[in-house]
Amino acid sequence: MTAIDRQMTAPNLARRPDRTARQRRDTRTAFAFLAPFLLLLLVFQYLPLAMMAKNAFMDYSLLNPGAAKFVGLLNFEDMLHFDDARESLAATFLFALVVVLIVIPLGFVLALFLNSNLPARGVVRTIIMLPVVTSAVVVATMWNFLLDPSNGLINGVISLLGLPRQPFLTSPNQALIMISVMTAWQQVGFAAILFLGGLQGVPKELAEAARIDGATRWQVLWNITVPLLSRTTLFVVVIMTVFSLQAFAPAFLMTDGGPQDSTNLIVYHVYKMAFVMQNAGYASALSVVLLLIVLGISLLQMWLLRAKWNY
Amino acid sequence: MKRLFLAAMAGGAAMSAVPALAQDAACTADPVTLRILRTPGNYPYPAAMEAWQKEHPCVTFEVNEVPFAQLGDTIAVQAASDDPPDILVYDGPNTQSYAKAGILLPVTDYLPEGWDDDILPATKAEHSYEGEVYSPGIEQTTVAMYYNKSLTDAAGITPPQTLDEAWTWPEALEAFKACQQGEAGAPSVWGLGPTRFGNGQPGLVYQDLIYQRSNGDPEADPESSAYKTFWGMAPDGSTVEGYLDTPEAIEALTFYRALFNEEGVAPKVGIPNAFFDGKACFYIDTPAAGSALLKEPVIEWGITPMPYFKSPVVHTGSTTIGVTARSKNPEIAALFAVDMSWGELAYMNVSQRGNLPTLKSLFDRFPVYQDYPMKVFVDQLESWGQPRPPSPYFAQYDRIVTDAIRSVAFGGDPEEAMQNAEREVARAMRR
Repeated sequence: MTAIDRQMTAPNLARRPDRTARQRRDTRTAFAFLAPFLLLLLVFQYLPLAMMAKNAFMDYSLLNPGAAKFVGLLNFEDMLHFDDARESLAATFLFALVVVLIVIPLGFVLALFLNSNLPARGVVRTIIMLPVVTSAVVVATMWNFLLDPSNGLINGVISLLGLPRQPFLTSPNQALIMISVMTAWQQVGFAAILFLGGLQGVPKELAEAARIDGATRWQVLWNITVPLLSRTTLFVVVIMTVFSLQAFAPAFLMTDGGPQDSTNLIVYHVYKMAFVMQNAGYASALSVVLLLIVLGISLLQMWLLRAKWNY
Repeated sequence: MKRLFLAAMAGGAAMSAVPALAQDAACTADPVTLRILRTPGNYPYPAAMEAWQKEHPCVTFEVNEVPFAQLGDTIAVQAASDDPPDILVYDGPNTQSYAKAGILLPVTDYLPEGWDDDILPATKAEHSYEGEVYSPGIEQTTVAMYYNKSLTDAAGITPPQTLDEAWTWPEALEAFKACQQGEAGAPSVWGLGPTRFGNGQPGLVYQDLIYQRSNGDPEADPESSAYKTFWGMAPDGSTVEGYLDTPEAIEALTFYRALFNEEGVAPKVGIPNAFFDGKACFYIDTPAAGSALLKEPVIEWGITPMPYFKSPVVHTGSTTIGVTARSKNPEIAALFAVDMSWGELAYMNVSQRGNLPTLKSLFDRFPVYQDYPMKVFVDQLESWGQPRPPSPYFAQYDRIVTDAIRSVAFGGDPEEAMQNAEREVARAMRR
């Protein structure tokens, strides 16, 4: 326990002194300021969550919600009985894994570059941030053109090299990898900025002391910078994982979940089940499962990557 | 600037006053506002609405528009609300889905005398459910195969112009190969251009289910695979088991897959305006493309009937007009929907967009459809037209089968794709 932690917990051990009128007034004021946000959170976040949980046990369509009927665990049984939920979750996990595996190291390397005194940092910072602030529709359209199996730019380069053209988004073996790469390309700038923030918070004295003691740059990076960035790394990993598990635009805009459901990401599958297949109860059940999975993965990541060092 | 602002204010006031003036002129009853949900550029058109308002001066309109791609989602959300629109302009094949869900009001009792004899049978079948008519229908479309005459002439190809001489699919493939320019799979001019519907990828039920249906036989024994192949779903809409993965369907889909893969004459993804830019010899589209080319002939073109394997077939259908069951003004809304679809008002609506009417009596009033090339559409509609498999589960069927056919176009196994599709449709029908 750090000194600060001890200070924070110490007052709890003693008898809480009587609250003054001033403290009570401050509390009321704080609640007054928080109330609008809490109300919005309640109405637009927690109430829909509760309704979703209830609907997961119903069979109904959006066209006729009045005819909803209670079906118990049928929607959850369907997830086990049919392949769609399993296949969609598998595609989503693979997508998230590829995105995180590309984004974390690449974002870290870019952040190291941006944190150095090397030239053209401003240009690079702009370049890597552009995809982050570009609309998902624009990015998807651009990559659709790039990955066109017949006339795309990438296939043009491939055929110039004398290699066979690749189907990319029309191949069940390549489509998921391609949309993962596209998403990583779009998100890497965000990860780099987060890592950069972490790097700039690492005390320079530690690296300087290590260098005086004879450590190489690589040893400083591996033994000081990386461990001290563990909180930032945890944050970036959790954020990127949650973003990836909730990805919708690539499947919606580029592949329609195909070919052969290979890019049928779970959030897109939920949308398709509710609005196209008119099976809103099943879509709610899928959402409940997704919520629990995201929560579980986030907790696991937070435990595995918990900080062992403070500064 | 000030003058511009005043002019804008005056213009806005005048525009908003138009319906009010018509209403105030002779309205002696309670005013009614009919709320219409439609896609942009779709009917009912202002001329027909204003003509109708003269007879019904107490009625004004509030029109909301959403893009076609979002229409189904919007209807799903709005139809369930406490205050749904009065009039829906929706995709016709969804009629039975909406009727079963209780969204649409039956309009059978409002139909004029003679409607039954005048309406195209395919339209009536598509817009009916359990003995009731839910939409009178306004326009009808189907697809035919357009060709770039300069390119086909250069390749020495003379496509047929009448139904009697229509190509079979193998004959059409030979024409695609002869006309295509460049490497198979990545040519500079494609044999068969991509669709303009959806995201441009192949597989749409409207356009591509007819490959396998045409390899069936509607006159065969109802228990035979040939019969089931033609219908693609039990005629009563009760099942798809044994209707999609028949040997005939697999044979047709194997040919279909070759177009995009082994033969490389059709692209797997969309190419905007490929046909109109001279990048495709042949192209499948509705009369809308012909109407556009007649107005602005950017290329020399012609139309050939849809090729087939054994039984010629084309899908019919279009957007159509209906009344919501929970409309606060059901009587006047039903009257409006039916009037928009009958007689002179129907003509005004249909002629605006250039598609075909649903009433046989109106065909003579469209000279463009009396002669080649546009006559091909009328002939096909009357001789080969079939609705997409009518069912309360059409929306689900449409999506599942489209995904299956698309996966075949991308190189998937036809049998596996169709077996999966049957299983998924059966699952949707279970509810």
